[in-house]
Amino acid sequence: MTPRYTDMQLDALRELANIASGTAATSLSQLLGRDVDLNVPKAFSLPLADAVDATGDPEEIVTGVALALEGDIEGVVLLLVKSQGAATLCGLLGVEPNTEVGDSAMGEVGNILGAAYLMALSSMTGLSLLPSTPFVVTDMLGSIVASLLAETVGHGDTALVLDSELDITGEPCAISFLLLPNAGGVNDLLAPLGLSEATA
Amino acid sequence: MGELAVSNRVGDELVAIGLGSCIGLAMIDRDAGVAGLAHVVLPESQGKPGPAPKFADLAVPDMIGKMVAAGANKRRLEALMIGGARMFSVGASMDIGSRNADAVRSALRDAGISLKTEEVGGNRGRTARIIIGFDVSSQLAGGERTSLMSLTAGPGSVGRREAAKAV
Repeated sequence: MTPRYTDMQLDALRELANIASGTAATSLSQLLGRDVDLNVPKAFSLPLADAVDATGDPEEIVTGVALALEGDIEGVVLLLVKSQGAATLCGLLGVEPNTEVGDSAMGEVGNILGAAYLMALSSMTGLSLLPSTPFVVTDMLGSIVASLLAETVGHGDTALVLDSELDITGEPCAISFLLLPNAGGVNDLLAPLGLSEATA
Repeated sequence: MGELAVSNRVGDELVAIGLGSCIGLAMIDRDAGVAGLAHVVLPESQGKPGPAPKFADLAVPDMIGKMVAAGANKRRLEALMIGGARMFSVGASMDIGSRNADAVRSALRDAGISLKTEEVGGNRGRTARIIIGFDVSSQLAGGERTSLMSLTAGPGSVGRREAAKAV
């Protein structure tokens, strides 16, 4: 059976993402010494065929920082930054983009944001959620997102994506912050809120 | 992801943008001017439900059926595969890309279809593109198109039209 999520479940997941990405936005703001705006997160549950397009233009070259989730649920946390945004971010951190040092700095940003996001999620749900070492890759958005969805969605056919956007105020830098839990992981997130029943 | 498109109209363009660990499996009958492109995500269906083109083991027979329905002759079918990269070098767990490539090779062998060319592996994404009556090409992220097979055998015109997507 394919799990589909009710509006109430998606609302709850969106609220979790909202609070967690708010915490991440605060750490980004502290890291950079800049204001960071947070857009209202999106939570969508889509057939695999449509999930990639919902996260952005599949052909666009982006930098992705992926952290595998370890602990009570499996999945991936993924930051996506367009090339101009990555250059801006590296500039604010005083490193050259698309170099080993630049990638390392992007990985560190992913680490800090991912840890803040997961810590907030963890304290709301009581789950133990730890990020793995970050992997940084610059490629087409489609190649990055589809390869991760192949692992997280696997043999299921519905992808659940929680998508938050952080904007550095006054800079051309938007960071998409995606949580791609595997199918079982979604229920584990919902269970502490008393909303665990996946409906057909 | 998990989609399939087949066409026999000159100028139609079949595209799978942003293949990472996924495979763009192209099947061609040059004489009949029929081509198909599937976006394969995983090696085996393991009996799970889902669209056939998503799994290498189901994609090949499914595609042969649709190619024949569009006027292809099974004995003339040729295949190409594009993709199967390992995007994350120390990836979350397994190398799905190379397992996908192995599964496609094996499914083609079982079906008796010759695999003419493959552009697989590495750590960069690719876009697979078929323009009916023109060629089959692969394009690395941020790179130029590399033509893998010419489809200009017949006296077809080379119009370009975005008609079908298999993203």
